[in-house]
Amino acid sequence: MLLKPQSKWTWLVAAYLFLAGVGAGAYITGVVADWLGGEWAGIARIGVVLGFPCVLVGCAFLVADLGKPENFWRAWMRPNTSWIARGTIVITVFMILGAIHFGFWIWPFDSLVDADGARQAIGLLGAIFALGTAIYTGILLGASRPIAFWSTAMLPLLFLVSALSTGVMAVIVGASFAGGAEAAIVKLGKVDILLIIAEIFVVIFYLQGTHRVPESRASAKLVLVESVAPLFWIGVAGLGLVLPLALELAGAFALEGTGPEVAAIVASISGIIGGLFLRQVVLAGGIHAPLKAGRFEYALANT
Amino acid sequence: MRYGFVIDLKRCYGCYSCQVACKAANNTPRGVDFARCLQGETGTYPNALRQMLPTLCMQCAEPECLKVCPTGATKQDEAGIVTVDKKLCMGCKYCMMACPYGQRHSVPGWSTYFPDAEGELDFYQTYAKGRWEERNGYGIATKCDFCKDRVKEGKKPACAEACPAKARYFGDLDDPESEVSILIKRERGFQLNPEFGTEPSVYYLPAR
Repeated sequence: MLLKPQSKWTWLVAAYLFLAGVGAGAYITGVVADWLGGEWAGIARIGVVLGFPCVLVGCAFLVADLGKPENFWRAWMRPNTSWIARGTIVITVFMILGAIHFGFWIWPFDSLVDADGARQAIGLLGAIFALGTAIYTGILLGASRPIAFWSTAMLPLLFLVSALSTGVMAVIVGASFAGGAEAAIVKLGKVDILLIIAEIFVVIFYLQGTHRVPESRASAKLVLVESVAPLFWIGVAGLGLVLPLALELAGAFALEGTGPEVAAIVASISGIIGGLFLRQVVLAGGIHAPLKAGRFEYALANT
Repeated sequence: MRYGFVIDLKRCYGCYSCQVACKAANNTPRGVDFARCLQGETGTYPNALRQMLPTLCMQCAEPECLKVCPTGATKQDEAGIVTVDKKLCMGCKYCMMACPYGQRHSVPGWSTYFPDAEGELDFYQTYAKGRWEERNGYGIATKCDFCKDRVKEGKKPACAEACPAKARYFGDLDDPESEVSILIKRERGFQLNPEFGTEPSVYYLPAR
């Protein structure tokens, strides 16, 4: 019996999961930088500026995936029915708070930018909802119980670590465009080393946890050796984890002059792309449990 | 009142009559089947066995599809039948992920029964397409509704009526005297994948 992966949620949904993660991670990076203040002020602004627009663009991908995009507003009408409904509320609050936070730096509110207390309070609230945005996507997939590859407590953690890592990397890329933040970029690169190492462990534990049932073993096989394997090994393991880690380690310990900065920027671009592939690998690896009747098992026809 | 099915796997010989009758009754486009027969096999030659498994929406008492529906489009009526309100559905396909039985269908547009044919749809396909659009339409997640409208008229669901092997029984699970309740008790009827806790209204009688 050949179990086929689901084919209804693909790249558009992956793009949403990815951008929601990048936006949330970048915003959290910005908020933390804002608390640190001083030399981090520029980084704070970049993180906050990247936050909600990334999530907003992600939502556009999600709406494009709907069978009836004109009905998208109904996702707000029944809060607490489903993880899509709850998540819609969480990302909406996040985007509102992110926009307000962003507003502290633009006219006509820029006179408020010295109101550190108010701004940082909004940052704290916003960061809580940003965490929610990063985590709920994993819970959302996990609520689909017949797909054992998704229905695991590791998935929210995987998405959270990836969100934080790609968020930091988006801020590095943003800061390199803005210019004048070489020292901060190199420091962010060092923070990212820890996040990438954490993500490598979470990916390993996530895959290790697939041994329990036949459908998740089939998912692991699909991802590690079958049709999804190139995307996993090149896209996620190579571009997303190993290359950025190697570059950032080189930047931190080996390179001199402008080397560390360039390494961090290249590592970040590569790692961000890997974050998109990670979401697609998780989606493409999702396999429904077979139906069981006596000694027989049946693969679902409509996947 | 809770409508339910009993499907006797001893009697089923895999003729696909249910699948075809369902298609005719619901005018589903090509590739979409509300009552799909699945083939299973076990063992290796010469000790191999095959067994058909006719499926349809299980009209679960605790439907996973209803739990994940974010818009309230998925509803359950007093007879336990789970329906989709096509005005409310936004087509997120979450129910397709959550249904353990693969009984949710999303149809992006009409697909002709004769992909090689050129030109306009003939009379019959135009009729089928019109009926599909009237009852279901595109973009939303549709499903089997135990032929609700036929049942209201006093008829059996199309698949039950068509089965030449008399392997499908339709009735009220809440009535302990009904044919379905008695068969479930007497012949050790079982539900598919009870581990998901969905309490399906479709029971199967073991093959052998």
